[in-house]
Amino acid sequence: MNELFVTTESGDLLLSDTTKRSRRIRNRLASIWMAGSVLVAVVPLALVIGYVLIKGVGQLTPDWFTKDLPAVTRRAGGGMGPAIVGTLLITAVAAGMAVPLGVLGAIYLHEYGGRGRLGRLIRFMADVMTGVPSIVMGLFVYTVWTIAHGLSAFGGALALACLMLPIIIRTTEEMLRLVPDELRQASYALGNRKWRTILTVVLPAAFGGITSGVMLAIARAAGETAPLVFTIGAARNLNLSIFNGPTTALSVQIFGNAQTPFEAAQARAWGAALTLVAIVFILTILARIVAARVARRHNA
Amino acid sequence: MRSPKKSLALLVAVLALFGVVAAACGGSKSDSDAKPDTTYDYASLSGTLNGSGATFPKAFYEETIAGFAGVAKGVTVNYNGVGSGQGKKDLAAGTSDWAGTDSLVADADKASFKGPFLYFPTVAAPITVSFNLSGVKTLNLSAATLAKIFTGSVTAWNDPAIAADNTGVTLPSTKITVAVRSDGSGTTSNFSKFLAAAAPEAFTLTAGDTVAWPSAQSAKGNAGVAQIVKATNGAIGYVDLSDAIASGLTFASIGNKDGKFVQPTLEGASAALAGATINADLTYSALNAAGADSYPITAGTYIIVYSSISNPTQASAIRGWINYVLTEGQTLAPEVDFAPLPTALRDKAIAQIASIQG
Amino acid sequence: MAIGRSDMDITPGGSSGGAVASLHGAGPGRRADQLFHSVALIAGLLVLAILGLIAASTTHEAWPAFRSQGLSFVTSSTWIPAEGKFGALAFIYGTVLSSLLALLLAVPVSLGIALYANEAAPSRIRRPIIAVLDLLAAIPSVVYGLWGVIVLAPFLGPHVYSPINDAVGSWPVVGWFLNGSSGRSFMTAGIILAIMITPIVTSLSREVIATVPRAQREAAYAMGATRWEMIRLAVLPWGRGGIVGAIMLGLGRAMGETIAVALVIGSQAGQVTTHLFEAGDSMAAVIVNQFGEASGTHRAALVGLGVVLFVVTIIVNVSARSIVARFDRQAQGI
Repeated sequence: MNELFVTTESGDLLLSDTTKRSRRIRNRLASIWMAGSVLVAVVPLALVIGYVLIKGVGQLTPDWFTKDLPAVTRRAGGGMGPAIVGTLLITAVAAGMAVPLGVLGAIYLHEYGGRGRLGRLIRFMADVMTGVPSIVMGLFVYTVWTIAHGLSAFGGALALACLMLPIIIRTTEEMLRLVPDELRQASYALGNRKWRTILTVVLPAAFGGITSGVMLAIARAAGETAPLVFTIGAARNLNLSIFNGPTTALSVQIFGNAQTPFEAAQARAWGAALTLVAIVFILTILARIVAARVARRHNA
Repeated sequence: MRSPKKSLALLVAVLALFGVVAAACGGSKSDSDAKPDTTYDYASLSGTLNGSGATFPKAFYEETIAGFAGVAKGVTVNYNGVGSGQGKKDLAAGTSDWAGTDSLVADADKASFKGPFLYFPTVAAPITVSFNLSGVKTLNLSAATLAKIFTGSVTAWNDPAIAADNTGVTLPSTKITVAVRSDGSGTTSNFSKFLAAAAPEAFTLTAGDTVAWPSAQSAKGNAGVAQIVKATNGAIGYVDLSDAIASGLTFASIGNKDGKFVQPTLEGASAALAGATINADLTYSALNAAGADSYPITAGTYIIVYSSISNPTQASAIRGWINYVLTEGQTLAPEVDFAPLPTALRDKAIAQIASIQG
Repeated sequence: MAIGRSDMDITPGGSSGGAVASLHGAGPGRRADQLFHSVALIAGLLVLAILGLIAASTTHEAWPAFRSQGLSFVTSSTWIPAEGKFGALAFIYGTVLSSLLALLLAVPVSLGIALYANEAAPSRIRRPIIAVLDLLAAIPSVVYGLWGVIVLAPFLGPHVYSPINDAVGSWPVVGWFLNGSSGRSFMTAGIILAIMITPIVTSLSREVIATVPRAQREAAYAMGATRWEMIRLAVLPWGRGGIVGAIMLGLGRAMGETIAVALVIGSQAGQVTTHLFEAGDSMAAVIVNQFGEASGTHRAALVGLGVVLFVVTIIVNVSARSIVARFDRQAQGI
C-alpha cells in the first residue's frame, strides 16, 4: 500500500496523486470487472430463456392444455393437461395450508411473541427452515405421510407447504412491522380487542405486502421438483382427487423427459418448461407490481 | 382275409377321415404367425390395471396398451417404467396389478409376495451394445473384450483388445465412457449374466439386477442410458433394441458362441430363441445361444401376475389383457422392434391364462 | 420508528355508547382474544414442531443404515447396495466439490454485480439489473437442469473440456484439476449451480453494501481515492462480515440443490477425484435417483444421506446467519 499513501512533511497521510497511472488502470479494470459481471449474469439468463422459448413455443397448441399425456412416450402427441392441472392443484392446496398458518405464525411473532425468548427462537428456526433442502422435505413427508397413505397430490402439497411456511412467516412479519403502530393504538382507543385489531386493522393495512410475499412463495413452490418425485407418483390421465391416487406435475414431467434421448419427449420437456416458467414469471411479476404499489403508497 | 384292394381302400378312408378331423380341429395352431383373437370378448371387460416394471419392453407395452384400449373400451391399463426391480416390489406390495420384468424373482424375495404368482413370457429382443465414436461406424466386440470394457480393464478405444477384434479399422485414442443403469434392471441382469457366461475370466463382477460397475456413468431406464451414449463421444452402453433404434444409435456386432460377430436384429433374436429350453414355469434363457446366426445377448421379458385374484371382474380384465398381449400383441411386436415368441412358447403361455383364478 | 409492542397498557375511554371493556380486563371479547392468541401461538410453534419432526423422523428412518455401517458411512466411498455396502464419502465429496466450484464462479460475478448496482451504475440501469436478477432467481431449478443436460453439457464436453484436457491435462498442478472430458461432470454441475446461486449472493451483498455509511465513502473520496480505491478502503472492509454471510448462504443453497445437479453431474459412483471434467455424484442427486426403488437398508441409507445433508446445510446456514447478525449489530450499533 505504500505507493497508495504518501506522508507529508507534517506527518499527515494522504493518498498519492490520483493521476498516477497504475491507480487509474486498476480503477478501470475494476470498472470493467463490475460491468462485465452484469453481462456474465445476463448471458445465461438469455440463453436459458431463449432456448425454453424457441424450443417450447412449438408445443403450445390447444391440445397441449387439454389432452392427456401420450401412451407412447417416444412419439409426439397428447398433451400436458394433467401435469398443468396437477401443478396448479398441488400448489393451491399447499398454499391453502401454508398461507393461513404462515400468516398466523407471523402474527404471533410480531404481535405477541416479539422480543421474548420463544419469539426469537421461532424466528431463528424459521430462518433455518428456509435453508432446508427441498429433497429433505420430500424425504420427511414420504416418511410420515406417503408410506402410510400412498402416493397422492396431498403428499406433494404437504411437502410444498413445509417449504413455503417459513418464507411466508418471515415476509409477513416484515410487512406487519411496517404497519405503523398508531393504527393499532387508534383501534384500541376505539375499544377493539387485540384479535379484532389484528384482523380488521393490521392485516388489511399489510395486505398488499403479504400478498406479494405469498405470491413469491407460491412461485417458488410451483417450480419445485424434488419434494414431488417421491410423494405424488406418476399418472398419465387427469386426477382431480387430492387424496387418492398418483398424479403428475409439470416439474416432474420435465425431469423425466429430460432423461430420455427421444426428440418428441425432449420437445415435451421444453414445452412443459415454457409453461412452468410462464406460470412462475407471471406470479413473480405480479408480486413485484403489488410490492411496488405498496411501497409507493408507503412513501407517499 | 380281405383282398388287398379292400385293405387299401380302408387305409385311404382312415387317412381321409384323419385329415378331415385334423383340418377341422387345429387350423390356427399350425400357423407360425399370430392371428388376432377375434373370438375373445374384450368389450365386456372393465376395470383399471396398474402395471409397473421393466423399461426394456416399455415401448412394446405402450403399443399394446394403446391397441388394447381400442378393443376393450371398459379397461384402462397403465404402465410405469420404473425398472424390473421396482416392478417386482410393487407387485409384492400389492400396489400394482401386474409387473413387467426381465429378470426372475429371487428365491429370497418370494416370501414377500402375497401369494403364488405366474410368469407369462411376452416378447424378446436383443440387448444392443450401442456406442458413439466419431469416425467409427462398425465395430466388432467379442464377449471377452466387452467384459474388459465394462469392468474397466480396457479404458481407451484404441486398446489392443478392441483392435484385435477389428482388424483394419483405425480406432481413435478417445477415452471410453461406460454407460450403465442406475436403477435395478432386468436389462442389467441379462447383460451381466451374458458376460458371466460367455467371458467368465474377464467378467469379475457379480451379475444381477444391480452390478457394481467400477467406473461408469449411470442413468435411469434404457432411455437414460441411450441418452448418455447419444450425447457423449466415446460412450458405450447396453440398451434394448427398440430404444436404441428410436434414439438413432449405432450398434456393435457381438461375437457369439460360434465365434461369429452378429448384429442385434430380430432375426438374430429369433435364432437365439429357437433353441432355448423352456422351464415348467415358462421361464427361459436365450443368452449366449448356440447357432451361427444367433445374437448372443437376446433377452426375454415377462409379465408377472398373481395366480389368484379376489375380484372376478379384475381377474377377467387381467386374463383379457394378457390374452391380447399374446395374440394381437405378437403382431404389433416387430413394429416396435421386438421379436414375437416362438409358437410353442406362445401357445403354452396362452394355455396358462386359464390358471389365473378369480 | 415505533416498534410494535405487544403489551399496551391503555384503558380506552368510552367514546361510543354501551359497555367499554378495558383492553386486558374481563369483558365480552376476552375469550376470543385468548383463543386467537393460542391459535397464533400454535401456528408459530408449528415451525419448531416441523423442524423437530424432520430431524426425528429422518434420523429414525436412517438409523438401521447408520448402525450397520457405523463410521464407514461417511469415511468409505464404496456404495454397493446389492452387497449392503453404503459408503457415502464420494457423494459428500461431490456435493462439496460442486458447491465450491459454484462459489468460485459465482462470488466474483455476484460481488461485481452488487458493487456495480450500488456504486457504479447509472440509476436508470439499476432497476433493469435488479429485474434480471429476479428473473434468474425465479427460473425453477428443473428448467436449469433441462437446459444443462440438453444444451450445456453436450456443448462443453467436446468443445471446451476436451480441448483443455488435451492441452493441459498432463501438466503438473494444473493437470490435476483440468482433466477429463465429460460434458456431465463436476464442473458443469458447478457452472449450473453458480448461475442459480448468483441472485441470492448478489441481493444479500447489495443489502450489505447499501448499509455502508456515507461518511466512510466520503472520507475515502476526500483523500483522493478512485472509485475502486474507495470500494477497497471503505465498502469492502465495512461489509466484509455481511458479504461472508451472503456467500455462505449461497453455499448452503448450492449444497442442497438436487434436480439440476442430478441431471448434469453424470451419476458416476465412487469418484473422489480432483479431475473437474469427470463425472461424479452428489448426495442429493443420489437420493433422487435411487430412492424410487430402494427398500430396506438401501432406503435407510438414502434417508441417512438426507440426514447428513440436513445437518450440513443447517450448520452452514446457522453460521451464515449468525455472521450476518453480528454484522448487522456491528453496523447499527456503532
